[in-house]
Amino acid sequence: MPYREKTAWLSLLAMAVTFGPYFTMIAVRALPSEPMPTLRQLGLFGVTAIVQMLILGVGHLYLRRGSAQEARMPLDERDQTIMRRSVSWAYYVLIAGMILVGCVMPFNSSGWSIINAALFMIIAAEVVHYGVVVFSYRRQA
Amino acid sequence: MIKGSISNRIRILRFHSGEMSQAELGRRIGVTRQTIAAIEAGKYSPSLEAAFRIAHVFSVPLDDVFQWDVNGTR
Repeated sequence: MPYREKTAWLSLLAMAVTFGPYFTMIAVRALPSEPMPTLRQLGLFGVTAIVQMLILGVGHLYLRRGSAQEARMPLDERDQTIMRRSVSWAYYVLIAGMILVGCVMPFNSSGWSIINAALFMIIAAEVVHYGVVVFSYRRQA
Repeated sequence: MIKGSISNRIRILRFHSGEMSQAELGRRIGVTRQTIAAIEAGKYSPSLEAAFRIAHVFSVPLDDVFQWDVNGTR
């Protein structure tokens, strides 16, 4: 498996085990009648972000040790094509999300709902980005 | 638009070059082994520059490496 595919899998895994539980907790707890206090929200987000950074940091170190030579190589033309394709797909998800969050949600939501919706769309765009990378390497295109 | 598909003889040319490995070919033209594998399998079409480099490595004209079948579909 190419090094860059492994790093894409790592990023997907890190998002799944951090922001998966984060958004589940938000969905379960942040009902309109029972909003999470700001400090708890901030704490939850802080812990999630730190755990994600730790997983990515340790994971990248581990992967680099296993494929040191490949990790040092610059992106070749196929890697760049895959990267362009994945960023392009992620852009559409992000722009759709930002239109929803910035232009629609302010009329019927406020505060942390908007912040969490924006975060969700950023994570969704990242999932699409790394998903397209993995898919492209899997089918060798 | 005219339909067609690109095929290549890289596997044969590698065999005739002393069973050159995909990694070695990749190193000589500046791409990864996986990219050579994808080109060989017809899953990825290289840039014109990379195609010329591959032909140069095997010391053959470009159309000895890549062929375009006007009626073929991938």
